[in-house]
Parts: sequence; structure tokens; C-alpha cells
Amino acid sequence: MSPLSTLRHRYRHELQAYAFLGPALCLLLVLMIYPLGQVVRMSFYDITVRTETWAGLGNYAELLGNPLFWQILWQTVLFTVGSVVMHLVIGLGLALLLHTKINVRIRNLFRGLLIVPWLFAPTVAGMIWVLMLNPFGILNGFLTTIGLLDPNQTINWLGNPQTSLLAVTVVNIWRAFPFFMVMLLAGLQAIPEDVYEAGDIDGTTPLQKFWYITIPALRGVILTIVLLDSIWTFRAFDLVYVMTGGGPVDSSQVLPTSIYFDAFQKLKFGYASAEAIAMLLILLVFSVAYVRRAVKA
Amino acid sequence: MSGLRRERWGIQTRRRVAHAATYGTLLMATAVMLFPVAWMLTVSVRPNVEVMKIPPQWIPTIFTLSPYGQVLGSSRYLRTFVNSYFIAGTVTLFSLFIGALAAYALARFRFRGQRTVIMFLIITQMFPLVLLCIPYFRVVVRIGLYDTLTALIVVYTTFTLPFCILMLRAYFAEIPREMEEAAMVDGCSRLGAIVRTLLPMSFPALVGSGLYTFLLAWNEFLFAVVLIESWEKRVITVAIYSLLAEFVTEWNMMMAFSVLASAPLVVAFIFLQRYVVRGMTVGAIK
Repeated sequence: MSPLSTLRHRYRHELQAYAFLGPALCLLLVLMIYPLGQVVRMSFYDITVRTETWAGLGNYAELLGNPLFWQILWQTVLFTVGSVVMHLVIGLGLALLLHTKINVRIRNLFRGLLIVPWLFAPTVAGMIWVLMLNPFGILNGFLTTIGLLDPNQTINWLGNPQTSLLAVTVVNIWRAFPFFMVMLLAGLQAIPEDVYEAGDIDGTTPLQKFWYITIPALRGVILTIVLLDSIWTFRAFDLVYVMTGGGPVDSSQVLPTSIYFDAFQKLKFGYASAEAIAMLLILLVFSVAYVRRAVKA
Repeated sequence: MSGLRRERWGIQTRRRVAHAATYGTLLMATAVMLFPVAWMLTVSVRPNVEVMKIPPQWIPTIFTLSPYGQVLGSSRYLRTFVNSYFIAGTVTLFSLFIGALAAYALARFRFRGQRTVIMFLIITQMFPLVLLCIPYFRVVVRIGLYDTLTALIVVYTTFTLPFCILMLRAYFAEIPREMEEAAMVDGCSRLGAIVRTLLPMSFPALVGSGLYTFLLAWNEFLFAVVLIESWEKRVITVAIYSLLAEFVTEWNMMMAFSVLASAPLVVAFIFLQRYVVRGMTVGAIK
């Protein structure tokens, strides 16, 4: 055999595999890795429409010295933690309800109905809630009807710096809890029945079963979806942009919207790039944790 | 005897009460969670004067379909639907095709670099899109693709691809490779064997990941804002936002638009939910 054909023989699998992977890898390298390099590069420059001048760590120094950046970072953390915790609570509660011994068709019907909020585009969900949270919208209408609110002093949920972040967080909770519900229900259904039967023989109470059987069995799923959701929520742009645009006075600004405004409104591309890299570094912590879990599985 | 019977009675009643409580709670929760959807629907079929009222008008007194007429009668709005269908459909086809090839390699071959490729795919799935936005904008402007649907199709295919590959790989790995080997013994080429055995058997996964890809492309907003300028090229999510910014008071028309923009996906998901659920959970539950 010629050296070339031995080589070809030895790397036969690699050649075939990379031939199949080729189109996907090319696309991802060109459209993800190259732009990433660009952002890193841009974060070291002062960029205007016409000129690029080397700025060293200037953008990063400006970023870390800006109290607004820390405020926005804190708001992003609140938005993310609030969303993820409530997704887990609501998702687990509904999954447990759906997992009880109810008719399978009815279970599927409820599951189908409860998935619906997850199907809405964040922009559509945002618009529905802008309508409902209007000072004269249905939420204030409901609160005045049951006597919790004075009709002459309605609350402008999205226009008030004290409530704007809370409002967008609630909408985000509403939109994405079904993902947790579906995943946790599948997780519950994967727990073998005999584990619980063994628990019955030992005379455990329902609460003990939940705490000592259900939760440990769901641990893997919970960790996975909490990591995924943290990443997704931390980088979510659409909902906040559509509902408040980060306002009023940055009270509901999160990192992705802030990066967008810095780049495309204030045209500070270098500064926005540094901001984006800071965000990527934070996300990387979660991503590495997620990747380690995913690769193990 | 009677004590035993009473005991059984007690258990049955308790079970029935528990059952009723479960159904009751589920109904309540569903009602609360779907209220915004119901409100969207009722606002879309009432005159605008009835929308913002305190105390609220829960049920419309006048039923009208004119908001839908307003949306469907405008060629400008119809155009955004055509654009969204076209983009989401094309992206789904590309993503499934390229994704299935890559997934096949990952599921069937053992090769050097495999772990790295898988890790790379998972990491790219986590990328914050707003980070890519800045360089994309500059590059797309430079190569003359600014304000074209092509730019959106390429970008969307890129970021739906990792998900498609990983989901299809998990599914392919569950299908015994003997199926293709048998087809190859019978004289099929490798590609022929894939097309004849693997793809038909993976139909549920293809439907599931196809639908999810369609959903992502249909719902995307950020790049559609950054890369598209003219009204003729806008997609529905951007059109919705423009409505919100331009016609702050025409709530019934905006809700009609939202209904039309969401209905196709909701209907598709309700019929195909088992595929999607299967696809979402495969690999994650371990």
C-alpha cells in the first residue's frame, strides 16, 4: 500500500465524519468564532463611524468605573434569579399536579394548554402585557374592582422606576415557566414506580417521599434546566426592549439591552464590545458548568 | 366488617376529594396562566373604546372583526407575514439538512476531535446573540447584505444549527446502526441507506426539531431589528414592535395582529406536542 492510502485508511473515520460535519462546522466557525474574535478586537479600540484608534484597556476601565454598569449588572442578576427561581417553583408545582393519577387525555390537554405562553414570541408577550399593565389596563381595573386600588390613583407599572423591573420579570416568568413544567414532568415520569412502593412499605409520608425520593431523583434535570434557563434569561433582550426599553431612567435596563443601546444608539461600538465581553465572561461560568454536565451525560 | 367497610369508604372519599382538589387547582392555574391569552383574544374583537376602562369591561358588548380586517387588508402587514413564513421555512429546511448530516457523523462515527466538536456545539448554543450583533452589523453592511432577507436566513440558520445537531444526534444514537448496515449490504450507498432507513425512522425527531427551529426563527427579534430597515423586508416581530411604537392607541388592531402572528404556531404545537416534548427531553433526562 502506498503511504497515502495507509494514511487514508488510518484516518478513514475522521475523513468521513468531517465530511458530514463540514457544512455545519464551516458555518459555525465563520459566523460565530470569527465575529467573537472581532468583538474581542473591537473592545480594545475607540471606534467611530470612520476611525478606529487603539484604546488599550480604556473601554474596560471606563466600563468598570461606570456606576451605571454595576447598577445594570445588579438588575440583570435580579431579573435572572427572580425568573429562574419562579420558573422552578411554578414549573415543579404544575408538573407535580400533572403527574398525579389523572386521566391521560386530560393530562395531555392541560399540558398542551399550559405550554401556550412559551410559544409566544417575547415581542408578542411583551405587547399583550404592555396592554394589561397600562395605567388604565385590565390589571389596574381588576385591582380597583376588588377594592385594592383607588380608581383615581392607578399604578403605571411600566412607567414607574420602582415597579418596572418587577413588571418585566413577572412577564418573563409567565412566558417561560412551561419549559420547566415539561422537563420536570418528563423527569417525574422517568422515576420508576417501585421506588415509591418501597417507600410505602417503609411507611413514609407524602412529604418525606417528595423530599427523599422525588427531589433527589429530579436533581439532574433540575440542575440542567436551571443552568440553561439562567443562561437564556441572562442574555434575553427582546422582552425588556419591547416593554420598557430599559426605562424609565434605566430602572429596568439589563445587560443585553444596554449593550444594544450603547452600540446602536450611542454608537460607542468599542465600549459596547467591552460590555459584551464582560457579559460573555459571566455567562461562561454557567456555560462551563452546563457543558461539564452535558458532556458527562 | 362494618369497620372495614367504613375504612374503605373513607379511603375512597379521601381519594375523590384529592382528585377534585387536583383538578380544581389545575383548572385555576390554567385559568390564571391563560388569562393574558384570553384577554388578547377579547380585545382583538372589540371596538377600541372598550379597551382601556376602569372599571374594566370584561366581556365585549359589541363584537367586531374589523381589527382583523385592518391587518389583513393592509398589503404592508401581509408582506411581513409572507417574509416571516419564508424566512422561518427556509431556515428550518437548511438547519435540518445541515444539522442531520452533522448529527449523523456525531452519532455513527468514533473519531478524533469528537468531544471537542460536541463541546463546541454546546458552547455556541450559549452564546449571547447581542454580542454577535455588533460585528454582524458591520460585516453585513460591508458585504452589501444589509436590509436583505438573505442576511437573516444565514444568521438564523447559524444559531438554530447547534440545537438541531444535538437533538438529532441524541435521537440517531438511539436507532440501531444495524438498520443502515443491512441496507448497505443490500447495495445502498451510505447516503442512500441514511435516506431510506435512518431518516424515516427519525421522523418524530425531525418534526420536533423542525418545529422548534421554526419557532426560534419566527420569534426572533434582535437581528431583525439590527439588520433590516425597510418596511417591505420587515418580519412580524418587528412589525409588532413598530405598531407598539407608532400606533399606541390602536389596541384592538395590535391584538388582532398578535393573534394572527401566534395562532399558526400554537395550533401546530397543540397537534404535534408529543414530538416536541420528546425532542426537548431526549438526552436531558438521565
